[in-house]
Amino acid sequence: MPPMKPTARTILHINKRTLFYLFIYGAALATLAPFIWMVLTSLKDLNEIFVYPPRWLPKTFHFENYARAFQAAPFGRYYLNSLVVAVAVTIGQLITCSMAAFAFARLRFRGRDALFLLFLGTMMIPGQVTMIPTFMVLHWIGWIDSYKALIVPGLASAFGTFLLRQFFMTIPRELEEAAYIDGCSKWRALWHIILPLSRPALATLAIFTFMGVFNDFMWALIVLSSEEMRTVQLGLAIFRDRYLTEWDLMMAGSVTATLPILVVFFFAQKYFIKGITLSGLKE
Amino acid sequence: MKKLVLCALLLGLLLQTSCGKKEEAAGDGRTVVTFWHSFVSSTVPALNELIAKFEKENPAIQIRAQYIPTGDALIQKLITSVQSKTAPDISWVHSDYLQDLVEADAIYKMDDFIAGPDGLSEAEMADIYPALIQYASWRGTLYSMPMEATNLALLYNRDLFRKAGLDPDRPPQDWRELHEYAKKLTVDADGDGIFEQVGFSLPVFPATGPLGGWMVWQWLPFLWQAGGELINEEQTSVLYNSEAGVAALRLWQEIYRDLKLSSYTTDYDVAFASQRQAMALDGPWNLPRYATLLKHFDWGFAPLPQGPAKKATIIGGEYLTIFKQSKHPAEAWKFIKWIIQPENQAFWAIKSSYLPINHSVLQVPEFQSYLAAHPAFKVFVDELEYSLASRPIDFHGLEITRHVAEALEKATVGDQDPAAALNESAQKSNALLQSAAK
Amino acid sequence: MTVTRRTKTASNRLQGRDGLHALLFLSPTLVIFTTFVIFPVFFSFYLSFHQWNMFSSQTSFVGLANYSRMLRDPEFWTVVKNTLVYTLGTVPLNMAISLLVAFMLNQKVFGKKFLRTAFFAPVIISPVAAAVIWRWMYDPNFGLVNYMLSFAGIRGPNWLNESHSAMFALILMAVWKTMGTNMVLFSAGLQGIPDTYYEAAEIDGAGAWTKFWRITVPLLSPTTFFIMVMSLISSFQAFDVVYVLTSGGPLGSTKVLVFYLYEHAFKFFEMGYASAIAYFLFITLIILTLLQIKFMKSRV
Repeated sequence: MPPMKPTARTILHINKRTLFYLFIYGAALATLAPFIWMVLTSLKDLNEIFVYPPRWLPKTFHFENYARAFQAAPFGRYYLNSLVVAVAVTIGQLITCSMAAFAFARLRFRGRDALFLLFLGTMMIPGQVTMIPTFMVLHWIGWIDSYKALIVPGLASAFGTFLLRQFFMTIPRELEEAAYIDGCSKWRALWHIILPLSRPALATLAIFTFMGVFNDFMWALIVLSSEEMRTVQLGLAIFRDRYLTEWDLMMAGSVTATLPILVVFFFAQKYFIKGITLSGLKE
Repeated sequence: MKKLVLCALLLGLLLQTSCGKKEEAAGDGRTVVTFWHSFVSSTVPALNELIAKFEKENPAIQIRAQYIPTGDALIQKLITSVQSKTAPDISWVHSDYLQDLVEADAIYKMDDFIAGPDGLSEAEMADIYPALIQYASWRGTLYSMPMEATNLALLYNRDLFRKAGLDPDRPPQDWRELHEYAKKLTVDADGDGIFEQVGFSLPVFPATGPLGGWMVWQWLPFLWQAGGELINEEQTSVLYNSEAGVAALRLWQEIYRDLKLSSYTTDYDVAFASQRQAMALDGPWNLPRYATLLKHFDWGFAPLPQGPAKKATIIGGEYLTIFKQSKHPAEAWKFIKWIIQPENQAFWAIKSSYLPINHSVLQVPEFQSYLAAHPAFKVFVDELEYSLASRPIDFHGLEITRHVAEALEKATVGDQDPAAALNESAQKSNALLQSAAK
Repeated sequence: MTVTRRTKTASNRLQGRDGLHALLFLSPTLVIFTTFVIFPVFFSFYLSFHQWNMFSSQTSFVGLANYSRMLRDPEFWTVVKNTLVYTLGTVPLNMAISLLVAFMLNQKVFGKKFLRTAFFAPVIISPVAAAVIWRWMYDPNFGLVNYMLSFAGIRGPNWLNESHSAMFALILMAVWKTMGTNMVLFSAGLQGIPDTYYEAAEIDGAGAWTKFWRITVPLLSPTTFFIMVMSLISSFQAFDVVYVLTSGGPLGSTKVLVFYLYEHAFKFFEMGYASAIAYFLFITLIILTLLQIKFMKSRV
């Protein structure tokens, strides 16, 4: 673009741009404020946490809060457990949900809509009432207090199936139909045409599933008993009881549970926001 | 995509190898007794020392202590473990749960062990504070054993007392003084209608929340101080809406109103630590924390002020039960019996700052010297002599507690007439008691 | 895009083969669902006609007693009302803000990665930690919210302790906590709209507003439909945020349906009654979802 003299229009434009930035960064900062407070509190002395007016920066940085939090329980092991479970459920769900979603989005079979509605229906019963019966099923199988108890029930998801089905339906059918004429099977159509085009959706589902499993408390609590099986969220509960909250330690523990995922999100977001988007197809 | 499948397979393999069944025995021939507790991280080291001491004296038994978050989490764990026959040998429970555990035939009567060959003598039983025994029983039968006791006293800031012209060695003696001091210690220096310092606070929480029962627990001493009771002896009707109940609730309401507690924090401990609050209801469990948290000013504990009828405070604590699914009830009992021995109680009290459960601990020399060195702790121990426990409610105890909590919330947060709020709740409670009697 | 769309194409004659394929594709999900989801769902339906305290191994049949008790309990209707207020407060606000943010981030913006991470951060924080932080933010004496308001000369209320402000405070935190999820979904949806559409519209002289309403909104509708259905389900089932932030108080003003259900299940051990409430919720949500499907069908 050739250099131009600033006209009234560009000045207005710049102002609009500035306003836009002010707004979006202001909103981002407000959203992040509680998180920043959590990080700074995790470095404070207990006496500094409750002061008025609120003071953001600690007088001295108490990094030993982290050491103390980690000494309170074997958090290294808890981390490993949470990670194994969350990764396993995420991978499993991506496979089962994309298969089921393909069936609902692309295949014609009797009772499809009814079955799909039944799928959706299972999301509408609150987990609080199905928790105990689900626990009993696991008990009959004999999986209590194992990774399997945390992983296997999560391997299928109505939410994931619904999400992927919605995305698959936006992919033009023509692409596969051409492939079918070339003798391509349904499996190959799913693996080689649909899934590569759905990377943003798959990555979105992956992060949601991972977060859900990683932050789960109740289910992990009832199916696990032994110390070495526990997850991070169960570990964090030790800093709080009905009498008191150990603020400094709890914040330190929460930061260590949150920050790594935030970093992963920061670097991995291109996969699901950019990826190979659907846009290329619609032209 | 192939990579994904490969990953899944690898994970599957990893799982197969890593979920071997846990061993029943310790591997060294010792009997393993599992013990569920809910001590927070600051108490865990003391608990570990206690268990180590037991294991040293009882080399054939290993105690596997497992932390279960308290309250709702504990109850869900108990339900599912009873259903799946994976209950622990010993668990600590709240007395509110006894009814359901007994009705499901899940726990032993303590008499089964007390009367047994390795039991307790009458003198040993009489040594335990009777209020604790009452609280650990359901319908007159003892189903659990106290592990430690707690009660409530008045925490106060001696520096702020001096500043307000009050004698720090003469904390409030009765309700009238409590109310007066609370007002005197409440300061609005700049006159903007917001108090920079609050004299006292009340543990008012949502009745529906996990702390609703906790609020009622702290109100009961006021009810007793006024001469009231929660429920009649025959368990046919509730008594908390008596004149005594109304007086106790009116005191709360007036303090709540005068000190504008509706716009005050519920984190009294941190408010106290930052010297914005002069007095609070508090228990011995905070003492280890306070040693460091409150080191920058002069503070102390005093017995709860006396009410119109008498001196009273509430006793609580955690109670141990033995599950019928246990394969080692004898060993589990051995551990419980060991814990309630006076010398072990003294050890545990000194390490954890919880209160001992029996009188004769006071004769243990280490304990005596500890008391002499820790005057704040001594206030709680002295209070044990007149600590009361609430009369256990046979049926619908949880609902009735909820009804009381609703009345407390209505009279404070809702500023309704205390008598009307209590009567409304009592009506609901009595209807439940009548339906249970049928 | 609708749930029930059926396109009649030449491949209709392949119906039999599709059926077999469908079975294969659905089998992993079906196996896990029947084991871990369908059984518990039917079991709780069975329980809604029974009385069960969960500790005992026996249940006793009570017919429709749980349902009639529910409909006669005045508290139940208060709770339904609270749930509606919560839903009306969170769903539109949540969708509007997350769409706005996603739309803004869909343009050339400096520091886009940072911004997106910032808006997503609340989703990552565990509910318990989030509640601890927000309880501090709302604290009348030490909290950030009232401190900020004091600069504007406003004396904020004790947010969580007053009936009229507690619901608002709850909605605000809920929107903060879940907005990131919808933002990511909307972003993915927006990416799917080809730039060429906008370019073509610009050539026709369309303004930003026209482009938004004529291109973005219709082409985003599969995503919007999904978000709408899921948001309604999750806000009718709100529990975590309520439990950790207000516990239903003060004076029951933030007690929502699932909190009420939870209370009866795990405070008073009435699983039968809790199951009846669950099925009331189920029927409400099914009706709402079918209405949404119908609505989408007529529009698209």
